[in-house]
Amino acid sequence: MAYRTYLMVCAGTGCVANQSMKIKEAFEKELEKRKLQNEVSVVTTGCNGFCGVGPIMVVQPDGIFYQLLKVSDIPLLVEEHLIKGRPVKKFMYIPGEKEPPIPKMRDIDFFKKQMLIALRNRGLIDPEKIEEYIARGGYSALAKALTEMTPDGVLDEIKKSGLRGRGGGGFPTGVKWETMRKVPGDKRYVICNADEGDPGAFMDRSIIESDPHAVIEGMLIGAYAMGSSDGYVYIRNEYPIALERLKKATGQAREFGLLGENIFGTDFKFDIKITRGAGAFVCGESTALMASIEGRPGEPRAKYIHTVEKGLYDSPTCLNNVETWANVPQIILKGAKWFTSIGTGDVTHDPWGGSKGTKVFSLTGKVVNTGLVEVPMGITLKEIIFDIGGGIKDGKRIKTVQTGGPSGGFIPESMLDLPVDYDELTKVGSMMGSGGMIVADEDNCVVDMAKYFLTFTQEESCGKCTPCREGTKRMLDILENITVGKGTEEDLELLEELSNMVVESSLCALGGSAPNPVLTSLKYFRDEYLVHVRDKKCPAHACRQLNVYTIEEEKCATVGHGCDMCKKSCPDYAIMGEPKKAHYIDQMKCHKCGACFDVCNFKAIKIE
Amino acid sequence: MVTVNIDGKNVEVLEETSILKAAESAGIWIPTLCYSELFEPYGVCRLCTVEVIRGKRSRLVTSCNYPVREGLTVLTNSDKVKWIRKLIMELTYSRWPNVPVVKDMAAALGVSEPRFKSLEQDLAPDACILCGNCVNICRDVVKASVLSFEGIGIGRKVVLPYNEQSETCIVCGACAQVCPTGHIKIKSLEKERGALQDWYLGPKTAINIPTLQAVPRVPIIDEKSCIKMQTGGCGVCSTYCEPEAINYEAKDEEIEIEVGQILITTGYQTIDLKQMSQYGYGRLDDVYSSLEFEHMLNSTGPTGGTILCKDGSEPRAVGIVHCIGSRDENFHKYCSRVCCMYALKFAHLVKDRTPAEVYQFYIDMRAFGKGYEEFYKRLLDEGVNMIRGKVAEISEGYLNNGDKPYLNIKCEDTLIGKFREIPVDMVILCPAIEPQFDASNIKKIFSISQSPDKFFLERHPKLDPVSTMTDGVFIAGCAQGPKDIPDSVAQASAAAARILSLISLGEVAVDPIKAEVMDEYCSGCRMCNSLCPYSAISFQEEKKISYINDMLCKGCGTCVSACPASAIIGKGFTDKQILAELEGILSV
Repeated sequence: MAYRTYLMVCAGTGCVANQSMKIKEAFEKELEKRKLQNEVSVVTTGCNGFCGVGPIMVVQPDGIFYQLLKVSDIPLLVEEHLIKGRPVKKFMYIPGEKEPPIPKMRDIDFFKKQMLIALRNRGLIDPEKIEEYIARGGYSALAKALTEMTPDGVLDEIKKSGLRGRGGGGFPTGVKWETMRKVPGDKRYVICNADEGDPGAFMDRSIIESDPHAVIEGMLIGAYAMGSSDGYVYIRNEYPIALERLKKATGQAREFGLLGENIFGTDFKFDIKITRGAGAFVCGESTALMASIEGRPGEPRAKYIHTVEKGLYDSPTCLNNVETWANVPQIILKGAKWFTSIGTGDVTHDPWGGSKGTKVFSLTGKVVNTGLVEVPMGITLKEIIFDIGGGIKDGKRIKTVQTGGPSGGFIPESMLDLPVDYDELTKVGSMMGSGGMIVADEDNCVVDMAKYFLTFTQEESCGKCTPCREGTKRMLDILENITVGKGTEEDLELLEELSNMVVESSLCALGGSAPNPVLTSLKYFRDEYLVHVRDKKCPAHACRQLNVYTIEEEKCATVGHGCDMCKKSCPDYAIMGEPKKAHYIDQMKCHKCGACFDVCNFKAIKIE
Repeated sequence: MVTVNIDGKNVEVLEETSILKAAESAGIWIPTLCYSELFEPYGVCRLCTVEVIRGKRSRLVTSCNYPVREGLTVLTNSDKVKWIRKLIMELTYSRWPNVPVVKDMAAALGVSEPRFKSLEQDLAPDACILCGNCVNICRDVVKASVLSFEGIGIGRKVVLPYNEQSETCIVCGACAQVCPTGHIKIKSLEKERGALQDWYLGPKTAINIPTLQAVPRVPIIDEKSCIKMQTGGCGVCSTYCEPEAINYEAKDEEIEIEVGQILITTGYQTIDLKQMSQYGYGRLDDVYSSLEFEHMLNSTGPTGGTILCKDGSEPRAVGIVHCIGSRDENFHKYCSRVCCMYALKFAHLVKDRTPAEVYQFYIDMRAFGKGYEEFYKRLLDEGVNMIRGKVAEISEGYLNNGDKPYLNIKCEDTLIGKFREIPVDMVILCPAIEPQFDASNIKKIFSISQSPDKFFLERHPKLDPVSTMTDGVFIAGCAQGPKDIPDSVAQASAAAARILSLISLGEVAVDPIKAEVMDEYCSGCRMCNSLCPYSAISFQEEKKISYINDMLCKGCGTCVSACPASAIIGKGFTDKQILAELEGILSV
């Protein structure tokens, strides 16, 4: 049945957490009440990426974008927009104070500069309906590969496209596939790594939630090229919606004969098993992941013999990330030429020669627009942060951007013109990683941030090898000391030495990259470290133990009239003073929790 | 074969060999803390890191699991390698400063004082250093997968699942064997699972030389604890045995030997002490049987001859209890003869090796042999306490709260007519000597007799003490009755002399009184076969009749009277002859 209007309600995890399913129900109820149910359809879509302003709804075919919806707003919205035909301005996106609201999705800066390949169906289809995926050209790439191309042809196309692993390492996918194809062996596996463990990153989840069939199709094409008939998707159990959609999608694909035997009437057979991970970060590492599928403890092993030769159950195994797989159908469909036209460098002779296609980033931190963005390779960090991200919140100054998740590095403000490219990012000590991008402003302390990231990797270290188990803990001890004012300049030397050792001698990439935040922060922000260890001060006031809180007596007495708020909030009873008179802080008692600073309405409390 | 260059030396090794092995063959030492040849390299201590150069690329790899490739250049001692090893060692050393292997390795790598203090520092000298050897050997070699790692990161540790005794553990002790620090200890489960051996006092590997004085001095495999024989895994000993002398397929076999005479010296066993629960054997620590104590006294024994309680302390007092099961209405009425004297020997040795007080609990002292009484007198002078009376019970007691429990011996002192309770730290029980449990089988096989106490019966107690009622079968030693070593030797010599005298004669004189089967009358009913007390009658399959072995037949006449066809006659005692004799007598 055709409808005049479609309400595309976002059902990504972020929006669902903000009650988008209730909003959908409210719409359905309201539409029924107004007898519009046969004219207007409510569709749940995958994640739109603009999670900061969820729940999101897009009215199609006009492309009107509504944000921050509440259940109580729905009757008004139906009345105004759907009955009277007047889009409601107050639910639209407003780029800044005193600026007019932007009604259309494609005009919003956040979406304007994006280029969608892996996420091309986001917000446009119901991810739980295979028909909608097929309607958008889905599975035609598979049909093309199976009926018009040989496995070698497919391989060649992927190789020519210069696609590189989107999970972090940036290994040329075509080279990996080719090696795997050459290894003899009847049983061979392809694996989709959906064990996305980086804190704050949700690229893979979003792809599976908005377009699960793209991943399945990518795996099918890969399996055909590499002669595999068994696939695994290793997905973390903390992604219930993605897991559910993936299960439904494989079920539908099986029903449609797209998984199983004799696919598209050929001899090709392939099926996918879904394995759930239990949340260990290290299981995102390929060998640990395979160990986990086999039912052994999720610990990595040395990869001196590659997994394409000896992987899952000691058979040749090709593991790629969700985003990599999702790119494959588009490359087959539109050709390597089209793909290589996007991005940097030249990959015609050297597969490592450049970065092609697009990359999905999870943009978070102190930017105005946070969310998921897919951008062409070669775009500068500045463009992402200022054009798509809308700049820094509250007009503050940017200090650094950290890319690549907890194991990535800090890139200082002076390098923001750096293009997004595997090799460029690695050159400056950071990495593409799976696509985390955290923006920090002047209120963030790099020592504190480095400590935060290292705390994560240290806790997630499996503990198998000495450098990672002991080394990261010792590094954390040193950072901890620095942030509480017990650090020395020798500590910085030792920290650097330890970091280099952990990078050089750890068993797997977790330990091999865990010190990146420390190393890059030491490289680009050594001054800030020196202030911490020499003056025992934190310039950003983020390391609270180094702060000294004092009350400006004059301001307190004259402006605040000794309001007593700080005194009441102090858990240490460290604030003295009569009401209506100036207060002061007993430094001996103060534990530097910062509670007084937060409650003072008159900004009478100073931090030194 | 591929050629690799290690520290400037060209080394030719098989493909797929690890760098570590290749270096070893070239005599280059690479430090490791987790490497073992028994399982796939785990590669976690990272000390074996070396620098490999292929073309222009140089990288650090662990040599234990990096396979050599043609044309590889390896540096095991470059500045970078030294720096990495030293720093890793600092980390390990700061965490486990007192573990000997770590200390030694730190010294070898030139680490004296680590620059950081580990918050997780473990000062125990037998701390677990997380090398994973135990987990790997249990999974890959024993194939029992009993041990596992728990926790991640710095909180990682080796555990039994749920910290409970595992059902799949076969107590092979392999994990303790490969543990470089001695963190894993094998707890004796003797009480729960029964003794592994009769006098098991300490852990033993499944393949061992039973005692240092064993003849021949070769190792034996204990089938019950050998992993190879239990699970099919392991096989480690055969990989180590260069002459390939280990044979897991060897089985016990039966050998037939034809002999003329047989000397039975099957010996004795000691009474099962567990049936006398009042003495606490198997229930209380430090209650030993005399054989176990003898094993402890042995300089090649588990304690090297030192007398120690189970907790490793020296006993303050030792009680030796005589006549356990012998001279006892409930068990054996006879005297075991040897206990008094070995008990005195024990007392002497305890006095000699420890300052402990010794108490002997006896019924009567039987110091009958040559020089024995003098020894007894000497011991009285040495200050051994002799208490005449039977022990009623041995129980655990506590002097003070928290103190080590002592063993309380309750007994009657018949010389002063009082009940006494004597605290000791160790008790040695003198179990009765009794016939082997399968003595009746031996009896049946050789057609000999047993006395009421089940020892084998000699032909005549005074005039023929080594032969039996069956010709050519002799007995000696404790199979015949309890006796000490001199007596056993004397009796055995006598038996040997008897046997030799028959051999030197070359022929055997037999009694002419025999039974004989008259072939033409025998119907082959085989009734006589089972009746013959000397197993002299056998059935001849080809003729389908019974046949009497003249050498075995004693002419008792049982078969003659039993044969339903009257086919067996006693030679010289046929009915006809007896009747003729009767007639002759009566005609006078």
